[in-house]
Amino acid sequence: MRNIRIALTKGRLEHKTVDLLEALGYDVSVLRNKGRKLILEIPGTNIEVVLAKAADVITYVEHGVCDIGIVGKDTIMEHGGSFFEVADLGFGRCRFALAVKKGTDFYSGYSEKTIATKYPQISRRYFAAKSMDVRIIKIEGSVELAPLLELSDGIVDIVETGTTLRENGLEVQEEVADVSARLIVNPASLKIRKKELQPLIDSIQQAAHQ
Amino acid sequence: MNQNRLITPEGTRDLLFEECTARHRVEDRIKEVLLPRGFSEVITPALEFYDVFSLPRHGLPQENMYKLVDRKGRLMAVKPDLTMPIARVACTRLREHPLPLRLFYNQSAYRINPADSGHSDEVDQIGIELIGAGERRADFETLVLAIRSMENCGLSGYRIEIGHIGIFNALTARLGLSPDQKEDLRELIMSKNYPELNDRMEQMRDMQTAAALRQLPALFGGEEVLDQLGSLIDDPAINEVIEYLRLLLKDLKELGVDNHVSLDLGIVGRNEYYTGIVFQGYTEGIGDTVLTGGRYDTLLSDYGIDLPAIGFGIDVDAVARVLRGSWNFQLTPDVLVFPYPGYEVKAMKEIEKLVQMGFQAEFAVCATSDEAKLYAARKGVPTLYFVGEDIVEVRV
Repeated sequence: MRNIRIALTKGRLEHKTVDLLEALGYDVSVLRNKGRKLILEIPGTNIEVVLAKAADVITYVEHGVCDIGIVGKDTIMEHGGSFFEVADLGFGRCRFALAVKKGTDFYSGYSEKTIATKYPQISRRYFAAKSMDVRIIKIEGSVELAPLLELSDGIVDIVETGTTLRENGLEVQEEVADVSARLIVNPASLKIRKKELQPLIDSIQQAAHQ
Repeated sequence: MNQNRLITPEGTRDLLFEECTARHRVEDRIKEVLLPRGFSEVITPALEFYDVFSLPRHGLPQENMYKLVDRKGRLMAVKPDLTMPIARVACTRLREHPLPLRLFYNQSAYRINPADSGHSDEVDQIGIELIGAGERRADFETLVLAIRSMENCGLSGYRIEIGHIGIFNALTARLGLSPDQKEDLRELIMSKNYPELNDRMEQMRDMQTAAALRQLPALFGGEEVLDQLGSLIDDPAINEVIEYLRLLLKDLKELGVDNHVSLDLGIVGRNEYYTGIVFQGYTEGIGDTVLTGGRYDTLLSDYGIDLPAIGFGIDVDAVARVLRGSWNFQLTPDVLVFPYPGYEVKAMKEIEKLVQMGFQAEFAVCATSDEAKLYAARKGVPTLYFVGEDIVEVRV
C-alpha cells in the first residue's frame, strides 16, 4: 500500500503546522528546506507531506489522493466538500467579520446592499440566513479597497488584528464566524487504514492542544 | 466551429473499449450474485416527473437535479436516484405482486456536482431493493448480498461499515431537538466534525445524552463499539439496537463473511430517508463510498403504500476503475482475414469457422493485400489470412 499522505496548507498555517509535526517527534528538516520538491518524505516513516494551497488541500483529501489534511476553517466554509473534519487544532485563529466604513451601518435603509469579498459562498449563505438579498462581488486582492472606492457597502473578510481595517477607515460591524486550523480526513482512508491513521490523528490532536 | 460539438458536458465522459468491458464485467459479476437468488430486473425511465424526487420527508435537494419541462409545462427530472422510481413502481404496477419484491436495477443516475470538482454527474449503478420485508432476515440477506457482490467482483481490500439510525434518533429524541437542530447535528456527526459537535453539545442540559452524541462519530470499529455505547447510555431503544446489531454480526460471523465488516455508529444517513440499519462500502484506491445502503421503511408510504424496504447500490465505474488494472482485455482480434477479389464469401466462411472456435477474427475491408498488411501491423493484429484459391497464413 502507498505511503500515508498528509496535505498541508502553504503560507499562513505552514509554520505552525511544521512545528506541530516536529513536536510529534518527526524529522521536519525536509519541510523547512523544501526547495522545489512537491512531495516530501519524512525520513524514517511511511509518511509523505504535500504542501498545497488551502483549497487544494481539501480537493486532494476529498478525492482520497491524500489521507489527511490541515486547512483553515475559512477554506472549508467557502469550498465545502465531503470529508471528516475531526479536530480543531487551535492555531491560525482569526475571525470572519462584516466590516463597513467607520460610522456607517450596513443594515440601515431599504436599498439593496453590496458586499465585496473573497468568500462569495460564505457571504451568500450568511445573508441568506438573514433572509437578505445582497449583491455579492468577488474580489481577488485587497478587499478593503472596494468600500473605499464605493463599489460596495461593506466587506466580508478574515480579520486577524484589525490593523488594515483601521488604517483604511473601516471597522468591524459584526462577526460572522470564528476561524482556526482544522484536521480533515478522507473517509475511505480512515476506514481502510484505521490502524495507521487513528493513532496519527490522535497524536496530532494531542500535540496541538499542548 | 462551435466547440461544444466536439466535447462532452462537465461531469460526463465517453467510455472506450476496455472501460466498457470492465464496466460490463463488474455488472455481470454482481448479477451473478443477484440473479440466482430470486432478484428480477426493473428498468425505469431516464426522465421522471420532478415530483417523484421532491418528497416532503425524503426529498433530494433540488439544486442537484437536472430538470426539464414536458409538453404540458410540467417539471421533469433526469433521474437523480434509482430507488425512488422503483418505490413508485412497487406501489403502482407491482401493487398486487406477492411480497416481498426482490428487485434489482442497473442504470445511471444523474446529479449536478459542484463545478470543477472532478466528480461524475452520471453514475452507473447496480443495486437491489428488497421490498415488503421488515425482519432481521431481510437485513441479514441484504448485507450478505452487499458483501458477496463486492467479493464476486474480485475486490480484496474492501470494507462494509454498518450503523443503525435508531441510535441517533433515540439520542436526539432524548434531547427534544427541533427537526432543524436534528438535521444540523446529523450533518456534524456524518462529517465526524468533533469541534462543532462539542460546541453544540456543551449547550445541552442532558449531559449524559450529550456525551453519548459527542462520542457517536468516534464509535467505529469492531463489536467493542457496542459495549462502549452501552456504557455511555442506558436507554431501552438504544439497548434494543445494540442487541440487534450483535445478532446481525453474529450471523455474519457464523456465515464466515465478517472479516470485511465493521461497525460505524456515526453513519446517520441524510434527512429522514433511512429508518434502520445503514451501511457503506469502501475499497482501496477510491476515496469515496462505492456502496451505500440501508433500511427505508417510510419511503414507500410517500407513494401510497406503507411497506418496509431495504436496499443498496454500488458505483459500478468506481469498482471497475480499481479492478481494471489487474484485468486482461483483448483489444485486438487474433486474425485479420483478407479476401482476394472474388473470394469474399470464402473469407467470410473462414471467419465464421474461426469465431466458432473461439477466436476473434476481423474481415479485412481494405482494397489490397498491402493495405491489409499495413493495417494489421498498425493495429497490432498478430496473424493475417490471405484468402484466394488457397488460404495463406502470415505472422505479422
